[in-house]
Amino acid sequence: MTWAVEATGLKKTYPSKDGEVEAVRGVDLQVRTGEVFGFLGPNGAGKSTTVRMLTTLLTITAGTATVAGVDVAREPDAVRRKIGVALQEAGLDDRQTGRELLTLQARLFGSSPSQAKELAQKQLELVDLLEAGDRVIKGYSGGMKRRLDLATALVHEPEVLFLDEPTTGLDPASRLTVWDEVRRINARGTTVFLTTQYLEEADQLCDRLAIIDGGRIVLEGTPADLKADLRSRRGGEPTLDDVFLDATGRTRTRVAGQVEEVQA
Amino acid sequence: MKQTLILTGRALREARRTPEALAPTLLIPLFFLVVNVGQAGKIFPGKSTPFLHGQGYAGFQLPSSLLVAGSFGSAALFLVEDIEKGYFDRLRAAPVSRVALVMSRLLAESVKSLVLTAVMIAISLLLGVRIATGVGGFLLLLVLTSAWAVVFAGFMQLIALKTRSSAATQSGGLIFFPLLFLTPSFAPRAMLTHPMEVAASCNPVTYIMEGMRALVLGGGDWGRVGLAFAVVAAAGAVMLLLNVRLVKRFD
Ligand SMILES: Nc1ncnc2c1ncn2[C@@H]1O[C@H](COP(=O)(O)OP(=O)(O)OP(=O)(O)O)[C@@H](O)[C@H]1O
Ligand SMILES: [Mg+2]
Repeated sequence: MTWAVEATGLKKTYPSKDGEVEAVRGVDLQVRTGEVFGFLGPNGAGKSTTVRMLTTLLTITAGTATVAGVDVAREPDAVRRKIGVALQEAGLDDRQTGRELLTLQARLFGSSPSQAKELAQKQLELVDLLEAGDRVIKGYSGGMKRRLDLATALVHEPEVLFLDEPTTGLDPASRLTVWDEVRRINARGTTVFLTTQYLEEADQLCDRLAIIDGGRIVLEGTPADLKADLRSRRGGEPTLDDVFLDATGRTRTRVAGQVEEVQA
Repeated sequence: MKQTLILTGRALREARRTPEALAPTLLIPLFFLVVNVGQAGKIFPGKSTPFLHGQGYAGFQLPSSLLVAGSFGSAALFLVEDIEKGYFDRLRAAPVSRVALVMSRLLAESVKSLVLTAVMIAISLLLGVRIATGVGGFLLLLVLTSAWAVVFAGFMQLIALKTRSSAATQSGGLIFFPLLFLTPSFAPRAMLTHPMEVAASCNPVTYIMEGMRALVLGGGDWGRVGLAFAVVAAAGAVMLLLNVRLVKRFD
């Protein structure tokens, strides 16, 4: 089977004033085609850096990655054609209207003007922005911007969708809109790779997940398996929160002998 | 190519929506024209000053003002805004040639500059300036000015791509001070003091200015016009090469 995302020994070192920052230190990932894959980790763990490498935005220091079967470093343009990206910071242009932005995006992916118009209209409907669609983005609320950003990532109907913290800063209603949208596009066959700080989100949406800490994967599996594993070691009814805290060592009641050095 | 045009269209739409950014690029050069002519016009009366070829001093000053108009680098300021807002990443994540990302901005700059220059020249005609080389000369003047605007914006784009900071890009624009004032902007090169003449002769902008003057004032100095185009083309080639290199390495 070809994986939707496959990374082997992925590394990123940023140059900095005093030496180098090792943001990602050898990540192996395998995301199945058609699944929703969650990428969790504390602040600064290397989530965004990994997403930026997988989406061709950042050069890869070492290791290899393929997305939809295409090598990211060797054929970035072919990868770009197959993916949709919504980064942690929404990438919008304040001076365009929502509709213009979506139409432009569709045009850049090769749609004809009339096709692009249709696709933009469809996306505006899906993310509930029809009314605001012809206003300039400058006047949008934070939640509207997020939803538009998501729509922009989807307008060309990508095979693999990357979402970096898609619901951070959203009110509960907007969060549900985004979740519905993720489920809908996943049902359509799109693989979704999403990072999140919200464990409930991972529990709700993800078929499988990986937890990254300090630039290394510390845990991987289905939410149910991860919880079951912790239950067998600690008893009780662990939530995904407990799994996360346990794996990243962010708790004092850590079980001895658990993930110290990591499979990387 | 198609993508370049799509992105150029977007850049021009952006320009239309920010007249407040465009207005100073017309008003400031006009201010320079009026003030400089007011200050030195009487020193160089049209009839008795050979280097004016029978025109008023405003004709001599018009090229300096056109160069000022072409030295705002607004393309780079919009580009750095895209970078800071994250929209540049959205474009980079699309299957768009990296060259189109920088070329579209420059193409939009050339269109803006053509319009702006035409308006500037029209106003200067009202002030009594005549383009001695006729319609052909007028068109060459348009092209030369807008080519300079593209080159200048292109060099500022390098700062934008390198620093990703609008503050740095804006201060980078201040390079126009030495570039435009270490030139024979008030009198021909031969009349400058020796150190000033040396400085001006080292400055590529001098040759563009002299070419423009040959177009406005006439005098049959086509060699200077050719030299101006050669200088702008050479600077443009270097600028483009560096832009493409930087945008390809943008991380
Ligand atoms: N451009 C950069 N230059 C230098 N260091 C960077 C750069 N970007 C990120 N880093 C560093 O790399 C590490 C990982 O950052 P990254 O943004 O990938 O984390 P993250 O998991 O996305 O965190 P968050 O949850 O806060 O978004 C951090 O230590 C960060 O300081
Ligand atoms: Mg992040």
